[in-house]
Amino acid sequence: MTDAEASDDQELVDADRRKFLTAATSATAAVGVVFAASPFIASWQPSERARALGAPVTVDLSKLEVGQMITPMWRRQPIYIFRRPPELVAQLAAHDGRLKDPKSADSEQPAYAMNERRSRRDDIAVLIGVCTHLGCLPKQRFEPGDAQLGTDWPGGFLCPCHGSRFDLAGRVFSGSPASVNLRIPPYSFPDENTLIIGEDGTSTASGAA
Amino acid sequence: MASNDAEYSPGFWGWLNKRLPVGKFMREQLLEYYAPKNFNIWYFFGSLALVVLVMQLFSGIFLTMFYKVGETTSFDSVEFIMREVNYGWLLRYLHSVGASAFFVVIYLHMYRALMYGSYKAPRELLWLFGMFIYLALMAEAFMGYVLPWGNMSYWAAQVIINIFGTIPVIGPGLVEWIRGDYGVADATLNRFFSLHVVAIPLVLLLLVALHLVALREVGSNNPDGIEIKAHRGADGKPLDGTPFHPYYTVKDIVGIGLFLTLFAVVVFFVPSFGNLFLEEANFEPANPLSTPEPIAPAWYFTPFYAILRAVPNQRLGALLLLIAVMAFFFLPWLDRSPVRSIRYRGWWFRGFLAAFTVSFGALMWLGLKPISPNYLTAARVFSVGYFAFFLLMPWYSRWDRVKPVPDRVRFHE
Amino acid sequence: MNRSALFAAALLGAACSLSVAGQEPAAPAAEAVPWDSWQAGNEVSNVASLQRGFRNFMNYCVGCHSMKYVRYSRVATDLKIPTGMLKADLLPDGAAPADYIHASLQAQDGVAWFGKEPPDLSLIARSRGVDRIYRFLKTFYLDPSRPTRTNNLVLDAAAMPAVLSDLEGVKAAVFSDVKVTVDGRTITEKKFDHFVTVVPGRMSGPEFDAFLRDTVNFLDYAGEPAQVDRRNLGVWVVLFLLVFTWLAWLLKKEYWKDVH
Repeated sequence: MTDAEASDDQELVDADRRKFLTAATSATAAVGVVFAASPFIASWQPSERARALGAPVTVDLSKLEVGQMITPMWRRQPIYIFRRPPELVAQLAAHDGRLKDPKSADSEQPAYAMNERRSRRDDIAVLIGVCTHLGCLPKQRFEPGDAQLGTDWPGGFLCPCHGSRFDLAGRVFSGSPASVNLRIPPYSFPDENTLIIGEDGTSTASGAA
Repeated sequence: MASNDAEYSPGFWGWLNKRLPVGKFMREQLLEYYAPKNFNIWYFFGSLALVVLVMQLFSGIFLTMFYKVGETTSFDSVEFIMREVNYGWLLRYLHSVGASAFFVVIYLHMYRALMYGSYKAPRELLWLFGMFIYLALMAEAFMGYVLPWGNMSYWAAQVIINIFGTIPVIGPGLVEWIRGDYGVADATLNRFFSLHVVAIPLVLLLLVALHLVALREVGSNNPDGIEIKAHRGADGKPLDGTPFHPYYTVKDIVGIGLFLTLFAVVVFFVPSFGNLFLEEANFEPANPLSTPEPIAPAWYFTPFYAILRAVPNQRLGALLLLIAVMAFFFLPWLDRSPVRSIRYRGWWFRGFLAAFTVSFGALMWLGLKPISPNYLTAARVFSVGYFAFFLLMPWYSRWDRVKPVPDRVRFHE
Repeated sequence: MNRSALFAAALLGAACSLSVAGQEPAAPAAEAVPWDSWQAGNEVSNVASLQRGFRNFMNYCVGCHSMKYVRYSRVATDLKIPTGMLKADLLPDGAAPADYIHASLQAQDGVAWFGKEPPDLSLIARSRGVDRIYRFLKTFYLDPSRPTRTNNLVLDAAAMPAVLSDLEGVKAAVFSDVKVTVDGRTITEKKFDHFVTVVPGRMSGPEFDAFLRDTVNFLDYAGEPAQVDRRNLGVWVVLFLLVFTWLAWLLKKEYWKDVH
C-alpha cells in the first residue's frame, strides 16, 4: 500500500509507530464521540418543565367519604386515593393465600408501605392506578361479594383490559395476568386531612427545588 | 477485505460483500482513488463542509424534538430549549454557530475554486452542482432564521419575500403565494418549518451526493491546475497522486480537529459573535409594528444586500442582486484562459480577483451598516469591483500573459 | 513537533484570553466618564452579587415587570438560595417555587397607567445589552413636562418612571446649546452637560452604582442562565480538542513521510 523506500528496519519502526498513533488517535476520537453524544442523549431526560410539572401534589382529604375514591394526577399518572372501611382493612390478611405477592416482596412501594395494608394509615389508601400488567386503568370494585367477581370477592379493583384483579391494598390476585402489586408513590400526611403525593420527607422526588 | 471478484472472505464480511459491494466501494473510493499530492490548506474545506452538514443535521433533528412551530409558540419554545431542556442551550448554539460556520467554510471552498480554476473543464458540472448547493444553502439558512420568530426573523422574512415582489407582472401575486397570507404570518412560518426541516435537507443531501459522484468521475483539481492523470507510473497510478486513504483521511482529520477546536471556542465562549451570529434584535419576539434598527440580514447575505441597496431603483436592484449570485454559474464559460491555476495566470486575473475579494469583503461590511451617503457611494464602487470580475473576464482572461504550466506538480511539504 | 506544540499553545492562549475577555473590568468613576460610555462592570459568576440583584429585582421591578421564562426554583438552584429562604422572603404570596416570575401588574393596567405594557425582562440583557440597561437606570432626570415628571437620556420620553429615586435621589439634567452643522445648515441642538442633585437619595453614588451593578448582573444571568456552565464546559472541550488535534497531527506527519 505505501511506497516507503526506507530500509526494512526503518519500515518496522514506522509500522509500530503508525499502529500506536492510529490507536491513540482512534481511542481519543472514540472518547470524544461518547462525550459529544452525551448532551444529545441527556436532552431526552425530562426537561425542567417536566420536572416542575412533576412536583408534589397536595390533596385535601376532608371531604373524602368512606368508600369514595378520588384520582388526581401526579407525574402524568392517575393516583387512586380512597378511604377504606375499617372492617374491610381488618380482613385484608384473610385472603393472603389467594394473592401472588401478599407480603409485597416483589412489588414496588416505599418502606412505610411494606406492610399488610400497604399504606401509612389504615383508612387512606394511596395507589398508582396503573395496572402492573400492561398499563390500563383498573376499575374500582369496592363492594365485597360482587356478582361478577364471586361471593368471596373481598373488594378491590378489576382491570378491564385483561382481567387482572387487585385487593383494597392493591395486591394482585393469583390467576391475574399481572404479576406484582399496584405500585405506590412516595407520600406523606402533613396533617390529618392533607396528603402530599411526591414528598415523604426522605428524599423529595427529584424536581424543582 | 475482499481480494478479487471470484473469491469472498469467509465469515460475515464475505456474506455481506456477496450481497452488497461494501468492500468494493471502500476499496475503489478510498484506496484506489488517487488524489493529487499537492493539496494545501484550501483543500480542507470540502470535507469540513461535510462535517458541518452532519452537525447541522444532528443538532437540527434534536432541536425539532423540542421546538414548537407556531406564531404564538415558536419564540417561547426556543427559550424553553435554551433554559429548560437538558443541554438545550448547547443544541441551539451548535445549530446557530453551525449555520455561520457553514458559510465560512463554503465561501472559502468556493474561493479555492476561483483561485485554482476548479470550475474549468471537465469540472463544469461539479461546479454547477456546487452552485446549486449554495443556493439551497441560502434558502435553508434564510428559512431557518425565520423559525425562532424573533423580531429580526419576522422582518428578514418580510424584506426578503418582498424582493420577489419586484418581478414584473407576477411579483405581487407571487409574494402573497409565498407568504400564504396578507403579511408574513403563521402560514409563512409553518411552511418554512417544513421546507427547512424536511424538503431542503433532502435536496441538499441529493445535491451533495451528485457533487461527490461528479468529483469522483473527473478527479480532483489541485493548486497547480494540472491533470495528474496525464502522467502515470508503471503501475498505472498517477505519479503525482496518492491514495486518498490513508493519506488524505489522515490529513482531513487534522483539519477537522482544528476546525472543531475553533468552532468550540465560538460555541462555548462567544456564540453570538458580537451580534453577528445571533442578533440582539432577535431576542425580542416578532413585532409587526416595530422594525429593528438597523435592519440587516445575516452576515453571509450582506454582500448581496449591499448591492441591492446600492441601486436607487428597486426593480433594478433586485435584478442586480440576482445577477450577482447567478454570475458564479457562468464562470466555466466566462473564463477563456488556457491556464487553470492562479499560480500560472498573469496580472490581469490576479488584479481582478484581488478587486473582487476586497469588494466582496467591503460589501459584506457595508451591508451590515445603516444607510448613509458615504456608505452608499462606497457600496456602488465596490459593486463595480464585484461585477467587473465576472463581466470583463471573457476579455482579460484572454489578454492575460500566462506563465508556462509545469508538467508535474510542485508543492511545499 | 515544535511547530505543532507552538500552534497548540497559541490556540490555548486564544481560548484563555477569550474566556478572560468575557469578564468585564470594574466600572470607572461615573463623573470621569461620559454617560454614554458607562459600563456595568458586572460578573455573572459572582453569586453573591446575583443574589443581591435578585432581591433588588423582587423589591423594585417585579411589581410591573415579569420574567416569564424564569422560574423561581431555577433561580434558587443557580443562585444557591435555600428553598426555605426563597419561600419565606422572596416568593410572592400565592406563588409556588416552580412558577415562572409574573408581574403583579395586569397588562391592561400597565397600558392605562403608563401608555404601554412594561416589557418582560427575561431577555432584556440580550436584546439591549447590560451596559445600555445600566446607563438607562442611571440617567433618569427631572422633567416637569412629562406625565411621569421624569425623562431619560438613553430612552427619550421613556414611559417608565424613575422607580429608584428613593435610593438614587432626584437629579436634574443641565443641557447646553450647541451649534451643529447638518446638511450645510447650522442649527442649535441641546447637548447634555451634567447632572445636578435636587434631592439626595438614601444611597451614596458608589452604593447606588453597586446596587445597579448587582441588579443588571441578575438581568444578565436571567438572559442566559446557562452561560457560566457554558464557559466552564467550554474550557474542557477546547482542551480535549487541542489534544486530539495534536495526536491527529502526529499521525498525519507519520503517514506523510511516505509522500514526497
